[in-house]
Amino acid sequence: MIVAILLIAYAGILGVIGPKIFRGGTWAERSPRLAIMCWQILSASTLASVTLAGLALAAPSAPLSTNLATILRACLMAIKNGYATPSGVGLTLAGLVLAVVVVTRSLSCLVAGLIRSARERTRHVRVLSLVTKSCEHTGTIILDHSTPAAYCLPGRYRRVVLTSAALSTLDSEQLQAVLSHERAHLSGRHYLVLEVAAALNRAFPRVPLFTQANQEISRLVELAADDVAARSYGRLPVATAMAAMSGGAAPSVALAAGGPGALERVRRLIEPARPLRPVMLLSVLALMIAVIAIPAIVSVTPALNAARMPNCPMSTSATPSGLGPACHSFHASE
Amino acid sequence: MDRLWVAQRQMSVREVLEELREQRPLAYTTVMTVMDKLYHKGWLRREREGRAYLYRPAASRETYAAQLMSQAFTQAGDATTTLIHFIDAMSADEAAALHRAIDERLGAGGEDRL
Repeated sequence: MIVAILLIAYAGILGVIGPKIFRGGTWAERSPRLAIMCWQILSASTLASVTLAGLALAAPSAPLSTNLATILRACLMAIKNGYATPSGVGLTLAGLVLAVVVVTRSLSCLVAGLIRSARERTRHVRVLSLVTKSCEHTGTIILDHSTPAAYCLPGRYRRVVLTSAALSTLDSEQLQAVLSHERAHLSGRHYLVLEVAAALNRAFPRVPLFTQANQEISRLVELAADDVAARSYGRLPVATAMAAMSGGAAPSVALAAGGPGALERVRRLIEPARPLRPVMLLSVLALMIAVIAIPAIVSVTPALNAARMPNCPMSTSATPSGLGPACHSFHASE
Repeated sequence: MDRLWVAQRQMSVREVLEELREQRPLAYTTVMTVMDKLYHKGWLRREREGRAYLYRPAASRETYAAQLMSQAFTQAGDATTTLIHFIDAMSADEAAALHRAIDERLGAGGEDRL
């Protein structure tokens, strides 16, 4: 019981307070890929904690505890005691339902999102292929349009699309920088990272962690691609390319979130790169290891304790009919 | 589709066939089937002229391009990751701020490579 309580409390802390701690400071901009991984680890740990809490509540039930006892060659009674809950069957069932619901909801939102994106993408590609001529050798598609724009199509039909206006606005260095940025999105499979973050936010919308993670990851993914382009072509060409392309579509059809993000990206690129100091890097990594380890340790400790016990507590005394033989037989099978 | 957009007039299957044959050998039935499919998918309109149909595009190439662009830019907050932009559209003020930031930096340090 205490296992489940601890795990739920942990998940609550991560889910609600985690984002507040994490958003502070500029460390994320200095190392976008690390920051993305951290948000992913926080989210995964929160989900895992709730699922494990449910399983811990369900552990005293016959099928789960028997399997655990067999796997660990431990005393069945000890395992049941380790995870025991006061009100028995009701909580056990609730625990199982909780674990199943969390996992199912996450997966179904993810799968639904992937299918919907793929479908829209296919539709887009179909129109695109009829309307444009593609430069097959570069994998780049030029779309005849008076608004400068560049985007990539991830997934099965991986391509970068540029408008003709973009082609005429950018000089050759800027063009290479933009292509490099978009290709970084493709090779880094960023669309999957974005898809998972969005799915978790849709699945559990009132959890602050998932909402923040979704926002931050969307932003950080652009920074990561900027870094890749800047490494090959210089920070300034990427920044000036952004300025050149900023005569984009009218705001009436635009996302509100886009504008301020671009200014921040340009400001960041204008300054020289500031990688994280090793001390900072190691602290973050250590913190992430702790975030993963805590729910794992908390949830398996009673089971491991049971496995370490040399004797089954019931086997040495006169055995009441139902429990003794069952306990005995697990030790006998060693 | 390309032929029809370029021609800017209604064309019969035979006329399209003649133009395409300049580039590669095609059968009449092939071209007819494709144009029929395009009609049923909404890309072409047609009207009868005697025993054959005359086809024309349902909309100009620019209209479709504009449609693609607006679809690309209106990725709603529901976050389907159909595609990933280089930079999202922004207002004139925001664009001006961007240019100012760069001009300041370029003015301060000249052309030094970052």
